[in-house]
Amino acid sequence: MMEKLKSKRALTWLVVLLAFVVLLALASILTSGDKIRGVAPIVVTVIGLIAVFVIYLLTAQNDAWQVETRQVVYMAIGAALYGVFNYIFNTIPMPSVSQVSLRPSVSIPIFFGYVFGPVVGFFTGAVGNILGDFITGWGVYPAWDVGNGLMGLIPGLVMLFGDKKRSLNFLTILVGVLMALAVAVILINPRVVGPWTGEIEDFSLWAWIFLIGGAIVIAGRFLLEQYGVDLAAVNLWGTLGIIIGIGFASLADIWVNGYSFATAIIGEFAPAAGPNIINSMILTPILLAAYNAVQKRAGR
Amino acid sequence: MLIAWRYRERDTLIQRLDPRARILFMLAMLFSVIQFWDLRILLVFLGIALLQFLLARLTWRETRRAWILISIIILIMTILTFFTGRGGTQYAYTEEHLIRRLGPLSLPIVKWQITVNITVEKIVFAVSQLVRMYAITVMAITVPYTVDPSLYGVTFRGLGLPDKFAYAMDLAFRFVPTLARDFAVTLDAQRARGYEVEKLSGGLIAQIRKLAPLLVPVTINAIVGAEDIIDAMDLRAFGVKPRTWVHQLTYKRADKALIALGVLIFIASTVLAFMGVGKLWLPTWALAWAQ
Repeated sequence: MMEKLKSKRALTWLVVLLAFVVLLALASILTSGDKIRGVAPIVVTVIGLIAVFVIYLLTAQNDAWQVETRQVVYMAIGAALYGVFNYIFNTIPMPSVSQVSLRPSVSIPIFFGYVFGPVVGFFTGAVGNILGDFITGWGVYPAWDVGNGLMGLIPGLVMLFGDKKRSLNFLTILVGVLMALAVAVILINPRVVGPWTGEIEDFSLWAWIFLIGGAIVIAGRFLLEQYGVDLAAVNLWGTLGIIIGIGFASLADIWVNGYSFATAIIGEFAPAAGPNIINSMILTPILLAAYNAVQKRAGR
Repeated sequence: MLIAWRYRERDTLIQRLDPRARILFMLAMLFSVIQFWDLRILLVFLGIALLQFLLARLTWRETRRAWILISIIILIMTILTFFTGRGGTQYAYTEEHLIRRLGPLSLPIVKWQITVNITVEKIVFAVSQLVRMYAITVMAITVPYTVDPSLYGVTFRGLGLPDKFAYAMDLAFRFVPTLARDFAVTLDAQRARGYEVEKLSGGLIAQIRKLAPLLVPVTINAIVGAEDIIDAMDLRAFGVKPRTWVHQLTYKRADKALIALGVLIFIASTVLAFMGVGKLWLPTWALAWAQ
């Protein structure tokens, strides 16, 4: 009964959202995109929300989404750890340590998402970020809280698959297909209106960036798999989480703060995502190994 | 290691308001301000944000660190945007009045030509962007200093978050001092074994790896301890029935007024933006620079 009510409510919301977007798009078209500005970010956000929603509805029966006492406690511990580490590594000066190595805390949401599931991962990242900003006194920034949450949620999606190997196969195919699509679309018609400048630009450079990026990811998968499926899975899903999470936050700032695309990439995405990926790739596997050892000993 | 919350109890107008009403108001302000680029309108929002900051009676001493850091970020981002063109605001302005052209500077190897046109629109946009970012930040910065951390769970419960998540939030706030102490103990224990966090040597990867002796014990220790907490909570039948909360929040008249004001501002902003009000404002005296 309860379940039925819940899914019914979810569907209602989905329909309301869809209607809202269609109305907005219609209004924008009818006024020839002149009067109603800023429709694009809202439509993109809602499409993203609907995508998350559909994934959830398709997999709602899966154990990965379950929230019991266990998940509640791990959510709290993960968020507290992320907040404390964020504060400590942000404010305590360590003169000899280069700035890049000062993001070790990023491995916490990735690890918690990967081991305890997407809900725990999202909560760890989002609430942990709120906590960290509370202790340092910087304020609350919703876009970055959600971005940090995504950094934990994406690695948690690994739980939707029967085993880690299958999740890797899925990821490889997904990256391959997306890359091929992007490259094909760009190379067929490289000169289009830039989404952020409104002028016609040549995007063929991006085709090569996508091609090389995708190739690195797929090669990385098979390279890391030599050392263990777990290592490959946590690093690939973790990297994907960081790219999507930080990408979301920096793109949101284009509309929130009016950055140029270059500012979002040079000023936010690269300096945040780069060190995060390096830190996560080194520290998360160490955490995972320690956790597996403890679990084996405890027999739980 | 002592971790202190920024929150202090002060008997101010702002703190007497319901945290739920304040968070709703803050979100309404955020979604209103991002619809505008007109400097005059943005200044009104900055004024509202500053009023809140002053009414909360926060001092420069308390907030200095956050101000300096955030100001550096805002300045860098504004300058970067100035030199790389505007962002998701292609409708902000369509024609530009040139003041001066810098360059062309050609880069040595790739032979790229770099020219920067300094235009009236770019300068006005940069100033507006600065004001806009400060308005958002001043609004956000007040929260950690004035919302009681122990009220966070019940606040988000009141905003519609399910019991379990709201409780997890409360639990997270409660774990912070314990984990900070664990971190300090671990740091001391590792130092006793000759670990020097002040002198991490080696390359980048080696340096990151050397942080593991701090990160891993604290994390794994917390996870091992979690099993006992889970058992204790299960024994007390956690999550079987809806929870009751020690702190009760009730909306007073002022809170309702604040929410109404927030909603009103948001609706007014959306309608105004719909009608095309609030695009980049070019003062006539600024256009005179172009001659």
